[in-house]
Amino acid sequence: MEPDSDHAKPGLTSAQLKNLRQLRVVVCHPDDADGQQLIQQLRRIGCHVQAFWPPLPQLPELTEVVFLAVRPDSISMSFDWFGGDEGPTIIAVVNYENPTIVETVLRVGAKATLPSPVRSFGLLSVLVVARQVHSDLKQQKRQLRKLGGKVLGVRRVEEAKNILMRSRGISETVAYNLLRDQAMSKRLSVEEVALAIVSANEIMSIGKQ
Amino acid sequence: MANKDPVRVGVLYSKTGATSTIGKSQLQGTLLAVDEINEAGGLDGRELVPVSYDAQSNPSTYARLAERLIVEDKVNVIFGCYMSSSRKAVLPLIEKWNKLLFYPTLYEGFEFSNNIIYTGAAPNQNSVQLAEFMTANFGARVYLVGSDYIYPYESNRIMGELVTQRQNSAIVAERYVALDATEQDFEPIIEEIRNLRPDFIFSTVVGDSTACLYRAYAQAGFNPKTMPIASLTTSEAEVSQMGSAGTGHFTSAPYFQSIQSVANLRCLDGLRRRAGEDCVPNLCWEAAYFQTHIFANAFRQTGTDSLPQLIPNILGSEYDAPQGRIRIDPNNHHTCLYPRLGVVNSKGQFTIVREASRPVYPDPYMVTHSMGDWAAELSSLEL
Repeated sequence: MEPDSDHAKPGLTSAQLKNLRQLRVVVCHPDDADGQQLIQQLRRIGCHVQAFWPPLPQLPELTEVVFLAVRPDSISMSFDWFGGDEGPTIIAVVNYENPTIVETVLRVGAKATLPSPVRSFGLLSVLVVARQVHSDLKQQKRQLRKLGGKVLGVRRVEEAKNILMRSRGISETVAYNLLRDQAMSKRLSVEEVALAIVSANEIMSIGKQ
Repeated sequence: MANKDPVRVGVLYSKTGATSTIGKSQLQGTLLAVDEINEAGGLDGRELVPVSYDAQSNPSTYARLAERLIVEDKVNVIFGCYMSSSRKAVLPLIEKWNKLLFYPTLYEGFEFSNNIIYTGAAPNQNSVQLAEFMTANFGARVYLVGSDYIYPYESNRIMGELVTQRQNSAIVAERYVALDATEQDFEPIIEEIRNLRPDFIFSTVVGDSTACLYRAYAQAGFNPKTMPIASLTTSEAEVSQMGSAGTGHFTSAPYFQSIQSVANLRCLDGLRRRAGEDCVPNLCWEAAYFQTHIFANAFRQTGTDSLPQLIPNILGSEYDAPQGRIRIDPNNHHTCLYPRLGVVNSKGQFTIVREASRPVYPDPYMVTHSMGDWAAELSSLEL
């Protein structure tokens, strides 16, 4: 028999698992059997848990995860910490699955749901997966913003080059070198110099045509 | 009028199959405690009657028989299970019928059920101690070999995390064999060990193939003084199956037969009078023994084995077990135990080389273990 080597190497435990004992969790759930089960299991896992009901308009500082009961009597709630990418990861605890409740789950920006009755089994996986999804999403959105800025910058540099080429009758390379020299001497980025040229050109063009 | 009806409890271990050696010892541990309880007047005059089936080391048989115990034999409490796969098979039935399982086996942690009492060690009560001892005495280049199921995977993850906290550490390889592996199956592993020359081998091989690994090691002419096998599951029972091949290898466990406490000597004496020399006491035997007394004491407090009354009397309860005074933790249903390290001697017993002076609290949900924070708990005896 060939020894099997398909298993992941040890020592590569993911950050989401390793962070569990530092995790600051708020449980917004009525103090019933589900709420208690939730709090007890989170404490077994080793998270720092605070419980509130009704939900707080402002969460304690540094809250990373919120377990939020989404129930028929609380569907109209609305707080600043809902859905924000930079806010806490929200996990909805639901006891109904009708469209009204599911809509609310989407509206609060939940990254996962936990069904009632809450069992101890399954909570750890939901917590870790929701954290990972939220973290990936945050990172992707940051990257998208950065890329969006970059694309805009490239377009402006193109435009600025065209303006210089037309107004001075120079080649693309010379135009770009002009932009770059200007950026260096003014300690600005090429994109910023390009923006200045494009804006100036727009102003100079007022009334033309 | 006092109720004199017997109290039936389910007993579900494997008398046959790959893990039957441990299974039979767990059965004997349970039956020894049942005898003691009945000799002492039973449960307030009611006889404790075990209903026992052979689960044949097969998870689906465990599930089928657990349901039979609950539905046909009408027991409220079951003592049983060894491998995690057997516990996982029984757990949904126990929860569905709202019954109680006492599980007397070390396992990989990350479980809690309102319907289970866990009396074996969690990884923070055996793996941490083993990793510290092995890396301090032999080095931190480890070869991992285990049976192909969940307990070895998770135990190896924990061991990997622990040894890599040391300098010059390495997981030189991680290999798995089938549950029914024979000596032949270990040949490529022994060859690889010869080539890779680790500082020690961490074995999570369970059941009858344990002896095959140790025998293959001995036949290869390796020296336990420089490259020993370390384990959490190689107990007196497995050692008794391997002749002299176990000598010099290490195991971390809360119980060894060689503990010289009054409670242990009295218990071993009672066992020999009942079962003769046929039974090989080990960590799982001891857990199976003391958990039955934990149940009986809780029953006497409340007069019933109905769960809502019984469980509050189990949680937080203590017992003078052969390993020391243990306590069932009310928060996670696991047990405060006494980590020990033993090395197999020429008599097939363990010479205890490290011993906790106080019980270690169970922490079944610990992802990242660190060495050092428990060291004060262990006293050095000899090496």
